[in-house]
Amino acid sequence: MPATDYQASFLGRISIRRNQVIAMDGNHEQELQDLELFSKHVSERFAELLSSPDDIPFDALLSISWLRKLLDFFLCCEAEFKGVLMMGNDPSQISKPPLDRLIPEFLDRSVKALDVCNAVTNGLESVRHYQKLAEIVVSALEQKPIGDGQSRRAKKALTSLMSAMNVDDKECSAAKATERSWSFSRRGVSSKDRVPEHFRSVSNQVAKNWSAAKQIQAMTNNLVPPRGAEGSGLASPVYTMSVIMVFVMWALVAAIPCQERNGLSAIHFPAPKQLNWAQSIIGLHEKIGEEWKKKEKKGTAGLLDEMQKMEKLGNILMDFTDSFQFHGDITDQKAEEAAARSAELAETCRRMEEGLLPLQIQIREVFHRIVKTRTELLNALDQVGKSSPPLL
Amino acid sequence: MDECQSAIPAHDGDLHVVAAAHHIVKALGTTKNLSDDLRKILIDLDAHLSLITSNIDSKGRKGFVEVEERLKRVERKIVIWESDRIMIWDSGPKEASDYLEAVDEVQTLIDSLRGISMNENQKQKELLHRASSLLQMAMSRLEEELIHMLVKHKQQSEPTYIPSPSSQRNVVYNESVVSLDNESAKEASSKNSCSDECGEYIVDLVPEHVIPDIKSIAKVMFASDYGQEFCEAFIGVRKEALEQHFDILENGKLSIEDLLKMEWCSLSTEMNKWTWSMKIIFGVYLMSEKRLCDQVLGEFGSVNSFCFLEIAKTTILCLLNFGEAIAMGPQEPEKLLRLLDMYETLADLVIDIDALFSEDGGSFVRLEFHKLLEGLADSVKAAFNAFGVAVSSNGSLYPFPGGGVHPLSKYVMNYISMFPEYCSTLNLLLEDQHSDVASLVSEPQCGPTASLSTSCPMACHLRSITSSLESNLHKKSKLYKDEALQHIFLMNNLHYMVQKVKGSELRPFFGDEWIRKHNAKFQQHEMNYERVTWSSVVLLLKDDNPGSSSLSKSAFKEKCKGFSIAFEEVYKNQTSWCIPDPQLREDLRISTSLKVVHAYRTFLGRNPAHVDDKCIKHTVEDVEKLLFGLFEGSPRSLRNSRRMMKT
Repeated sequence: MPATDYQASFLGRISIRRNQVIAMDGNHEQELQDLELFSKHVSERFAELLSSPDDIPFDALLSISWLRKLLDFFLCCEAEFKGVLMMGNDPSQISKPPLDRLIPEFLDRSVKALDVCNAVTNGLESVRHYQKLAEIVVSALEQKPIGDGQSRRAKKALTSLMSAMNVDDKECSAAKATERSWSFSRRGVSSKDRVPEHFRSVSNQVAKNWSAAKQIQAMTNNLVPPRGAEGSGLASPVYTMSVIMVFVMWALVAAIPCQERNGLSAIHFPAPKQLNWAQSIIGLHEKIGEEWKKKEKKGTAGLLDEMQKMEKLGNILMDFTDSFQFHGDITDQKAEEAAARSAELAETCRRMEEGLLPLQIQIREVFHRIVKTRTELLNALDQVGKSSPPLL
Repeated sequence: MDECQSAIPAHDGDLHVVAAAHHIVKALGTTKNLSDDLRKILIDLDAHLSLITSNIDSKGRKGFVEVEERLKRVERKIVIWESDRIMIWDSGPKEASDYLEAVDEVQTLIDSLRGISMNENQKQKELLHRASSLLQMAMSRLEEELIHMLVKHKQQSEPTYIPSPSSQRNVVYNESVVSLDNESAKEASSKNSCSDECGEYIVDLVPEHVIPDIKSIAKVMFASDYGQEFCEAFIGVRKEALEQHFDILENGKLSIEDLLKMEWCSLSTEMNKWTWSMKIIFGVYLMSEKRLCDQVLGEFGSVNSFCFLEIAKTTILCLLNFGEAIAMGPQEPEKLLRLLDMYETLADLVIDIDALFSEDGGSFVRLEFHKLLEGLADSVKAAFNAFGVAVSSNGSLYPFPGGGVHPLSKYVMNYISMFPEYCSTLNLLLEDQHSDVASLVSEPQCGPTASLSTSCPMACHLRSITSSLESNLHKKSKLYKDEALQHIFLMNNLHYMVQKVKGSELRPFFGDEWIRKHNAKFQQHEMNYERVTWSSVVLLLKDDNPGSSSLSKSAFKEKCKGFSIAFEEVYKNQTSWCIPDPQLREDLRISTSLKVVHAYRTFLGRNPAHVDDKCIKHTVEDVEKLLFGLFEGSPRSLRNSRRMMKT
C-alpha cells in the first residue's frame, strides 16, 4: 500500500498500528500454541510408527497394516496442518514472505505426490496379482497327500510368481510389456514348467520415462528447514508437512512396486535431528533405507512386508517342489514343513485379501485430500491476490 | 463320496449285489436321452462300482486292475498331445471333445480313488498320484489352449470404425479470451459430433463360435479345481487386449504434473481424446467385455465380477486420473466447452458404470467416478464464471482500428452460440447460481410471465454474459477520441450481437424482446453517428437568411468552401472506418446520403446563379458517389478518389 494513504491522519495511523499490534499479539500466541501442538502430534505419531514391533507380523514395519496406519497419520497431520495454516490466521499471511515462496513450492510438491499416489495405486494391482498366484500355490499344496501333480502345479504358479515379482522390480518399462508375447511356438519346448504363463507386469499408466525415484527426489527440491526468525512462524509447519509428505511417498514407493526406483535410498531428507518431531521420521528413514539397500543388492519387488514374506516362503516352497520332482517323493518331515510354510503363505494371502483394497482406497483418499488442500490454498491465494492492491 | 467307503462289502454275497448294480448302471448308461448331469452321475457311479469290484477281486490289496487300465487309456490320450506342436482346438472339434472327455475321466478316477479309504494301500496311492499328475498335465495344457485361443481370436474382433481422435472431426476452439485483442477470432467450433453416434455398442471381442470352446475349458478347469489358473490366464490376455485398445485411442500417458503444465492447444486435444476414449472404452469395450465375462464365467458366481474388475481396473484408473487432473487444473474460460463435453460424457456413462461395477468389489470404481462427475461439474461452473469474468474484464489499451466488430464480440458470440447444445447440462449446473444472475439481468423475460426458454438458468446467464460484453464494449468505445467513431463501433458490435442471436440457436434464449431492445440500441448509435458527424456539416449549408432568395456570391463561395473542407475531412477519416456488415453499411450510407445530398442539392438549387465549376468543388453526384465510399476500412484521400472517379 502506498505510504501516502497513511498520511491522512496522524492519529488514525497510530490507532491502526495499535490495533494491528494487538491483533497480531493475540493471534501470535494462539499461533504458537497451534504450532507446538502440531509438531507434538507429528512427533507422537511417528514415534508410534517407529516403535512398531517387528515380531508381531500384523504390525511389522512396511506391512499393509503399518502402511495403513502411516496413511492414517498422514491424513491426521494434514488436517491439523491445514488448520494451523488457514484457520484462525490472517489469510493474507500466506501471500507474504516467506510463505509467498514456500506455499507455491509446497503445492508443487503436492502435485508430484499425486502422481506418486497414482503410481502406487497401480503398483498395488501387481501386488494383487502376486496374491492370486500365491493363492494357487496354497491351493495346490493344501491337498493331501501331495503328489507329483500338486507339486508341479505349485511349482508352475511359484515360477510365475517369482518371475512376476522380478519383472516388476526391474524397470517395468513399456518395452518389457511389449516384448512379451503369448508365444505359440513354446509347444515344442520340452520343459513344461519353465514357461511362466501368468506373466503380467505393471501396466504403464504413466509415461515411459516417468521415474518414481526422480519424482521423490524432485519433491525434496528447495526443501530446507526454516532458519532464524522464520522458524517460529508458519514456515515451520509448511516445512514439517512437506517432510511428512515426502517421507510418506518415499515409504510407499519403497514398499510397493513402482516404475523406476533406482536411487531411492540415496534420497536425502534435509531434516535436522535437533527438531524434535523429525527424530522418528529420520529413524524410520534410516531403517527403511537400510532395508532398501539390502534389497537393491538382492532384488525384490518391494519392501512390503507381506511381499517379502511371500518371496521368502516362495523360495522355500520352490526348493521343496524341486526336491519333490527330483526324488519323486518326500519324507513326512519335509511334507510337514512344506505344509507349515504353505499355511504361512495362506495367512499372508489372507492379510493381503483383507488389506490391499482398503489400502488402495486409503491412497485414493490421500490423493483426494491433497487435491482438496491444494485447491483451498490456491483459492486462498487467489482471494488474497484480489483483495490486496496489485504491486505493479 | 464318504458313503462309498462304508459301502465296501464284507461278504461274498454282497458281491453279487454290487455286480448287479454295476450291470444296471452300465445298462442305464447306454440310454440315449439322458441329461448331461445324469450321465455324469452314472459314469461316477460306474467308476465307484468298478473300484469296489476290483478291490474285492484283489482281496483289498493289490487290485485296481481296471482303474489302472482306464488310467493307462486316458494317459495315452493326454500324453500324446504333449509331444505335438499343434494345438488341440486347432486340430478339430473331435480332438477337442475327446481331450475334454479324457480330462473328465481323469477327474472321475481321482474322485473315485479319493473316495476310498487310503489304508496303507500303496497301489491306490500310486494311482492317485499318477492321476493327479495327469490332471496337472492336462490342466496346464488346457491353460495354454485357452491362452492360444484368446490371443488368436482377439485380433479379429478389432472394431474398424474407430476414427482417430486427431482427425478433423472437431475444430477446436483454442483461443483464449485474454489474447484476443486485435486478433481475428476463429469461427466457432462444432460440438463433439460423436456424442450420440456410438452410445452403447457391443462388439464380439471374441468371435461367437469360440465362446463355447472357451466355456468348455472353463467348465472342466473349474470342475477340477483349477478355476484360479483359468481366471489368471483369462484376465491376463483380456487385460492386455483392453490395454491395447486403449493404446490405439492414443491417450498419451501423462502425469498430472505434465497435464497441469500443458499448453492449452495440446490440452484441448487431450481432453477431446479423453471424451472419445471414455465413450469407446465404457460404451463399447467394457460393455462387450462384461458380456464376454458373463458368457464365459456367468455360471461361476462372484468369479465373474472379480475377473471383469481385474481386466478393467488399470485402464479405468488411467481414465479416472486424467479426469481428476483436469478437474483440479485452473479453470480458464477457454476450457468451458471441453469441460462440458467431458462432463456430459461422464454423466451419460455413469449409469453404465454403476451397472458394470454393481458388485461390492467395484464400489470403489463407482464411487470414484461419481466423485469425478462432481469435480467436473464444479469445473464447468468455475470455467463458466471465469468466462463471465474474462468477458467483463478483457481490457484494451488502444482503440480497435476502424471501429469494426471487436474480436471479443466475435469470440463471445461465437462461443456462446455453442451453449444451446449443452442447454440441459448448463441449466442443471447453473441452477444454484441462477437466482443471483436472474436478478442481475433485469430483462422482462426473467419474470414469471416469460416463456420457459428465456427464463431458464442458461438463458439468464447468457444475457448476463452479453450484458457484460456490452458494458465492456462501452468501455472500449471510450478509447476513441472521435465521438462519431464511438458510435460506429458500438453500432457495429451491437448489430453483430443481434445478428448472431437472430441467426443461431441462441434466439429462443434471448427472446424477441431482447432483440427488439438491442435493435433499438444499435439504431440509436446509428442516429447518434449521423448527428455527431453530419449535423455540423449540413449546418454549414443552412440558409442564414431564410427570407432572401439567394446568397451573395462571396457568401455562397464561403459556404461552399466550408462544406468542401468539412466534407473532405469526414471523407478522409471515415473511409478508413469500417462497417463490416454490408447491409448495415448500405443502410447507413443511404440514410446519410439522404440527409447530406438532400441538403447539398437544396443548397445548390437555391443558388442557381453561382453554380459554376470554379467554386463548387464537388457536384451533387460527386458527393453522392463519395458517400458510398465510406466505411470500407481503407483510408482514401479525396484527391485520389476524385482522380479515380474521373477516369
